[in-house]
Amino acid sequence: MDLIRIELFKIYRQRKTFYAIAAIFVLEAFIMVSAYFQGREFLDILLENLRESFEFRGDLLNGNLIIYLVLNSFWFHIPLILMIVVSGFLTSEYKDRTVEAVLIQPVSKFRFITAKYLSALIFTLFILGILVISTFVLAYTFFGTGDLVVFLDGLSFFESREAFTRLAYAFVIGSVTMIFYAVVSLTLAVLLQEATITWILAALFLIGTTLFLRLEFESDLMEYYFFPKLTDSWQYLFYAEIPLGVILKKNVALLLYTVVIGWIGIRVFQKRDIS
Amino acid sequence: MILSAVDICKSYGSRKVLKEVSLSCREGEICGLIGPNGAGKSTLFRILLGLVTKDSGTLRISSQAPKPLGGIIEKPALYGYLNAFENLKVFSRIQGLSCSYETYRNLMEQVGLSPEREDPVRNYSMGMKQRLGLAIALLNAPDCVILDEPFSGLDPIGIRALQEQVRHLAREHGIGVLISSHNLVELGDLCDRFFVINHGEIVKEGPAREILQAAAGRYLIYGHGLEDSATLRLLQTEFRKGSVLLSPGELPIEDILKRLTGETEVSVTACIPQTNLSILFDKEMI
Repeated sequence: MDLIRIELFKIYRQRKTFYAIAAIFVLEAFIMVSAYFQGREFLDILLENLRESFEFRGDLLNGNLIIYLVLNSFWFHIPLILMIVVSGFLTSEYKDRTVEAVLIQPVSKFRFITAKYLSALIFTLFILGILVISTFVLAYTFFGTGDLVVFLDGLSFFESREAFTRLAYAFVIGSVTMIFYAVVSLTLAVLLQEATITWILAALFLIGTTLFLRLEFESDLMEYYFFPKLTDSWQYLFYAEIPLGVILKKNVALLLYTVVIGWIGIRVFQKRDIS
Repeated sequence: MILSAVDICKSYGSRKVLKEVSLSCREGEICGLIGPNGAGKSTLFRILLGLVTKDSGTLRISSQAPKPLGGIIEKPALYGYLNAFENLKVFSRIQGLSCSYETYRNLMEQVGLSPEREDPVRNYSMGMKQRLGLAIALLNAPDCVILDEPFSGLDPIGIRALQEQVRHLAREHGIGVLISSHNLVELGDLCDRFFVINHGEIVKEGPAREILQAAAGRYLIYGHGLEDSATLRLLQTEFRKGSVLLSPGELPIEDILKRLTGETEVSVTACIPQTNLSILFDKEMI
């Protein structure tokens, strides 16, 4: 526990932590400002025909839609920020050679690197916590509540209360994907050690994962066990019928991937000389 | 013997970095490891400190301390965004130590750092970083300290201060010190014993003074009236402004100095041995 506490203290004292938090707020602000100026126009085009047949309660450009738009940053923006910052927790120690200074002390490599992974996990949940709270508060404060309209395979509508529940659970389920990316980035940092190369590969990994996710595979094996296909389970919360079995299956598989990738990082760190 | 390494070997691929290297360090002893760049000093220190695994050989550390060895490899590695106090706190908590503010304060004072300074250590001079690195190495009271190039980047005052601290640790606290440096004069003045390493092998081992003396090919003599000295006229010399570079040949330097001081027109103010590095690093047991 002492090691985790120290790792969290180091995270708290580093400037990049606050840059990450600032980046989250900038992203949120950007989404909200864009929605404010262009959202209504977009919704009008989307719902042009439907307005003639259905009656919508309240303003569809509301807090729930804004939260849904922020949630969509789980595809790329939030994982990218997380991967850059989390990998930096270790690459900066390699660059400054503090990893040597630490391991000269009577502390095992296993304990040190495990504490790094656990603190990265806590940091990821903390950042997501900030994202969730600030998004809900800002979105409801500036845009109010209302029904949520979502376009997936087709248009889906959710009443305000139900929309809130689905959005909240989507954030919870999406956090599994974010933890996966954070662990991958730390393992990349263990393998590559150098910050810039790690960032480039982390970004490539993210791009590759997103591209593979869009591909349709005939095989169920690929759909349920190939890791890029497991990173979108939070999106299932916005189907009319929530496929709970699929979400559970995908998340268990993704957690297993996370554990295995983390274990590889720990083993490599333990085996490798510090030089 | 606190630290004893016997027949340590290490290769990177086909390149042999250390070939059956043996060295030791006793309580309160200051041992110097000298050698040219790429001789294997840092690799050996990394092995001793557990950062690099050896291919073969035995490493014995006779200590009951929770942290038998402390050390600094090359430049001190510190968390630049933390201040000195926070660095000490981080490194002590990492090893499960819970020290009071007073303990940190005393430790900082012991190595000559001001506990009042609260800015991040990235603002510190190299000398102050070295001192903080030493304080971190001394956390948890190790029986032996390994210092790799601790004088690099220090000004002469910093070198002198660090020398005094190292001497104090060895003489007053009985800590064994294994130290490497390119600064042979400073190291010769500090160390009890020398290990000379070249091409991954220990090529010489013995009292520091004797090793340096044996490798002293020439002497730089400062004084007055040296140009008119009858003694120097008979030897191979190179006169400079106020000094002469002397190759004594067969004659011992003690005899030359006696003769020079015996000459009425000559006064000698200093005699500095000029180490012949090819002799020093040559494989020849003394």
